[in-house]
Amino acid sequence: MENLEAARLQMALTLIFHIVFACIGMVMPFFMVISHYKWLKTKDEIYLKLTKAWQKGVAIFFVTGAVSGTALSFELGLLWPGFMEHAGPIIGMPFSLEGAAFFVEAIALGFYLYGWNKLPEKFHWFTGVIIGISGVLSGILVVAANSWMNAPSGFDYKDGVFSNIDPIKAMLNEAWFTQALHMTLAAFVATGFAVAGIHAYQIYKGRNKPLHKKAFHIAISFAAVAAILQPISGDLSAKDIAERQPAKLAALEAHYETKKGVPLYIGGIVDEEKREVNYKIEIPNALSFLAFGDFDAEVKGLNDFPIEDQPPVAIVHYAFQIMVGIGTLLALSGLLYFLSAKWKHWRVKKRFWLFFTLLTPLGFIALEAGWIVTEVGRQPWIIHNVMRTKDAVTPMPGIFYSLITYSFIYVLLTFVVSWLMIRQINALNNEE
Amino acid sequence: MLSVVLFFLFFSLFLYVLLAGADFGAGIIELFSSRNQQEKTKKTVYRVMGPIWEANHIWIIILIVILWVAFPVYYQIFVVYLHIPITLMLLGITMRGLAFIFRHYDAVKGKSQVWYNGMFKIASVVTPFFLGMIFGGLVGGNIQLFEEGTNQSFADIYIKGWLNPFSILVGLFYVALCGFIAANFLIGEADENNELENYRKKASVATIVLVFFGFLILGYGYWKEVAFVQDFIHNPISIIAIGLSALFLIPLWMMIKRKQKKWTRILAGFQVFFVIAAAMTVHFPHIIITSTKEYSILEGVAPDSVITSLGVALLIGGAIILPGLFHLMRSFQLIKLFKK
Repeated sequence: MENLEAARLQMALTLIFHIVFACIGMVMPFFMVISHYKWLKTKDEIYLKLTKAWQKGVAIFFVTGAVSGTALSFELGLLWPGFMEHAGPIIGMPFSLEGAAFFVEAIALGFYLYGWNKLPEKFHWFTGVIIGISGVLSGILVVAANSWMNAPSGFDYKDGVFSNIDPIKAMLNEAWFTQALHMTLAAFVATGFAVAGIHAYQIYKGRNKPLHKKAFHIAISFAAVAAILQPISGDLSAKDIAERQPAKLAALEAHYETKKGVPLYIGGIVDEEKREVNYKIEIPNALSFLAFGDFDAEVKGLNDFPIEDQPPVAIVHYAFQIMVGIGTLLALSGLLYFLSAKWKHWRVKKRFWLFFTLLTPLGFIALEAGWIVTEVGRQPWIIHNVMRTKDAVTPMPGIFYSLITYSFIYVLLTFVVSWLMIRQINALNNEE
Repeated sequence: MLSVVLFFLFFSLFLYVLLAGADFGAGIIELFSSRNQQEKTKKTVYRVMGPIWEANHIWIIILIVILWVAFPVYYQIFVVYLHIPITLMLLGITMRGLAFIFRHYDAVKGKSQVWYNGMFKIASVVTPFFLGMIFGGLVGGNIQLFEEGTNQSFADIYIKGWLNPFSILVGLFYVALCGFIAANFLIGEADENNELENYRKKASVATIVLVFFGFLILGYGYWKEVAFVQDFIHNPISIIAIGLSALFLIPLWMMIKRKQKKWTRILAGFQVFFVIAAAMTVHFPHIIITSTKEYSILEGVAPDSVITSLGVALLIGGAIILPGLFHLMRSFQLIKLFKK
């Protein structure tokens, strides 16, 4: 395997895992403080138990996220020294602020975890709120650094030299708002459906129902609202990409020929050699409308980009389909949940709980697919239209061995964290 | 603003060496304690460090971010030529993090704890060892920069720079330093006599080992003409710093013997400060020494606009974080001495 491929795979692998840990660590504190708030209000012991159970989850995922985040902060340089040498100073602002936000989160977590019966009740609860807020802030800041790679700004670039660096302008680049919004909502959707799904399974199995029902309602409320809002944010992102990264748009739609009034493809098998899409369903003029708000707008196809500037098409197209498909399903499921508040008899049926159990992994699959769209869709650039990925990779050969080591570690990490979670849930049920 | 950035760079380095060092050291002390004392150490350390455990390990992220934002050229050499030991250190950090979670969050407290403890103890030695090796590699003068058209092998460029006796000695020195910090610190936290006696013994041994490795590094460096050591001997500030640290060893030794709770940690803190100050001033600002050239950390420093914004971010961040951290420590009376 070539060094560049190995480095890209290793980066992808580490990010894929880190994103899961980070999202859970970012969103679960909100569930936890809602449950905590209800405990303070109602003095219902079940809420206290639930808060403490979720608190353990938060702590476990915070440490895992911190560890994999530390590894990532080094990997950026270990794998992409050419990128970091130039981009490091430019995107330093969001990273240093992220460091601060993360630190605040760690301090707040210290207060929260150890503050039971020691701190004043309200202050203790409030430190939990700070965990959530600073977690989301960290997420937004990191995404700001990533969005800069899609919409580089805040510097002048001439003959390989970066000058006139403006770190603030770089941080507030054109893509950061749409990307940060989309990612924050996605984190709530993915974590919310995952947590709700786990509790739905316990209800389905008839274990400790009072507790798991309370848990389910808190988690699914967040998830449902975020899932219903997500398509709007997705639309903003699509219009944004159409303007700034037309090659990415063309790749995610597998759109080869430049035309007016372009249809939207649903499904389909991409033939990268013949440069066509087979077995697809076409919705006439829909892509033109979604990208530019005009049914007859011209959409530039991949064939009009130089071959060396084209991203891989098939993987981006499939990932995009998966993301949108699951996103739609989850938005409808969110709606279903709200409707079940009116038709309460749905919630008595076992099928209802089985349905939400089956949704457990979907949010995260969509989230990962979305990251594949944005990252692979940006290729061959590491900084859009400025630096190619192959020019940023480390000169050290043998990254393949590093890839194997990291794969092993992260697979292990996933197994053990899941195993811990199962043991925690079992312990919770056995108390009853 | 550059001085603010440099201040935070060294400040976070100092805190990481000290706080993470204490944490690594606690694992090392566990490794060398009897089974009964291991449990006690584990409990004491968790009581003292639990709430700030995560925070202690964030200093290295701050450190690395400052390096890449403000000193990109320096950072570039660091990550390219020391890729392998950095990766090994990261494996250590990951293993420790995992073991920490398991020790405290496994709902079932059973036999599996033996495994977690083992993993924790091994990672507690491995991580600081590679950290020390990385620093030894940076200043050891063995890094060969890549040159077009020469016949350098993979090992020449990516391995010999850090896998050499000097770096290994520095690695061992930092492991000893971690044990030293933890033992002296724990003297002030012990709850009962057996435990206190255990820490006293460990503190004495660690002090001896530390001084031994210190001399070994200087002796070996002098014999092999390692540039870092040569300059160390000829740099007045380093000599004064190391001289002071030697002088303060005497009261420290007496305090350890008396199991004095407050002064052992203050004097041990002095030692760490002097050692870092000595090591950093030797070559400042030339903190990378390769086989052919010395690199200044100020070489290729980021443009003013970057340094200014980073400085402001650090000042604001510091103004929020440091009081928060202090308040956290005081709220839980983490440190027994705060109680009085």
